[in-house]
Amino acid sequence: MKHLTEDEMISHFYSEDLCQAEAEIHLQTCKRCAQAYEEFSQLLRSVHAPGVPRRGSEYAAQVWQSIQESLQPYRPMRKRSFFRWPQFAYAAACLLFLAGAFWAGRFWEHAHSKPSIASSEPQTKERVVLFVLDDHFDRSERLLVRLNHAGGGEDYVDFPLQAEAQQLLSDNQLYRQSAAPANDPLLNAALDHLERVLVEIANSGHELSGRDIASIQKQMNTRGLLFQIRVLRTRISEQKSNAQAARKGANI
Amino acid sequence: MGNDDYALIRRVLAGEKDAYGLLVAHHSKSLFRVAFRITENEADADEVVQEAFLRGYRKLQDFDSRSNFGTWIYRIAMNCALDVLDKQKSQTVVPIAREYDSELPALQVADRAAGPDRLLLSREIETRRHAAMERLTPIERIAFVMRHMEERSTEEIAGALGIAPNSAKQAVFRAVQKLRQSLAPLWVRS
Repeated sequence: MKHLTEDEMISHFYSEDLCQAEAEIHLQTCKRCAQAYEEFSQLLRSVHAPGVPRRGSEYAAQVWQSIQESLQPYRPMRKRSFFRWPQFAYAAACLLFLAGAFWAGRFWEHAHSKPSIASSEPQTKERVVLFVLDDHFDRSERLLVRLNHAGGGEDYVDFPLQAEAQQLLSDNQLYRQSAAPANDPLLNAALDHLERVLVEIANSGHELSGRDIASIQKQMNTRGLLFQIRVLRTRISEQKSNAQAARKGANI
Repeated sequence: MGNDDYALIRRVLAGEKDAYGLLVAHHSKSLFRVAFRITENEADADEVVQEAFLRGYRKLQDFDSRSNFGTWIYRIAMNCALDVLDKQKSQTVVPIAREYDSELPALQVADRAAGPDRLLLSREIETRRHAAMERLTPIERIAFVMRHMEERSTEEIAGALGIAPNSAKQAVFRAVQKLRQSLAPLWVRS
């Protein structure tokens, strides 16, 4: 092994050498290095710290007295930190961002909601038509059912068939005219047939007897009309269901 | 002590200036000890202590609560000592009488047993040590005092002086070599 250098001796003396054990073994085996290190360590051990003059208990007070005049008290940290420029800037930036996002959202919604309203207008109209027609057919069906059950006999029928028929007649004329351009043969035929029956009942001129009703049933085929109306109501019900499903899908 | 110091620092930062006086009371003596060992002058040591506490107060907002206040103010004191030594170095004129000539050793003592000779040797060593310390650069002087007298590690010296650990180690090496050159002539192989 190489002899210890001066730097290695210094490191060894202060126990800061990386290979302390190795240096120790070398010092035990190498007389030359051992003697040099002994002299070196004796010399360093002879260097003592100078005696420090005593400072009494009043020393700290003296130091404090000498400096306290030039010290400015700190302001409480909370107020300072809250109104510091960077934090204020961050808060303002966040507010601006939120406001921007809000207005952008509003404009976007406004821009995209118009077409959907426009496109949903025919659907809405269709749903209203279906609802009104269903109601009309419902009332007509009930009238026809009562008419079919009242047939036969000489007794006068005591329920206001004529008044109800007159009311339904005016509605039916309106619906028939409205439905004509739709080119729906079953609907047009049913409304036409219903109108004739209603005209017959409304314009009979006297209270209807069982015989009169039976005659109307026979001549006007009210049972066939009742069947037609029930078919139409089933179809209308299906269309209403489809319209509702389409509306839910559009909302999603 | 650490928790007490931190509580005092919070009080100072909250506006209670006088709480700093308690921190001064806790640490002034230890700072004076190391300042005196470095400067070897009472007035200079007092100046270092006062300046260290002044700087510490002004930088207190930057104090990291995870640190130890004693270590922190110690580092500041080392910097103040460095400034004092630098100032002295630029102003000092070495007296001819104190100039050391290594070629002409003043005294050689063969026997290191206790006695008048030994006392004389100690006095001579102290004189030469003081002279040799004066010849060290401020960095070498502080590094040597911290290593040899304060028993601080190389990392602590480097942290206090704001230099790399290897530079701190080299500063200690150079200081020891210079001291050895000054003191070696006093020793005669027995």
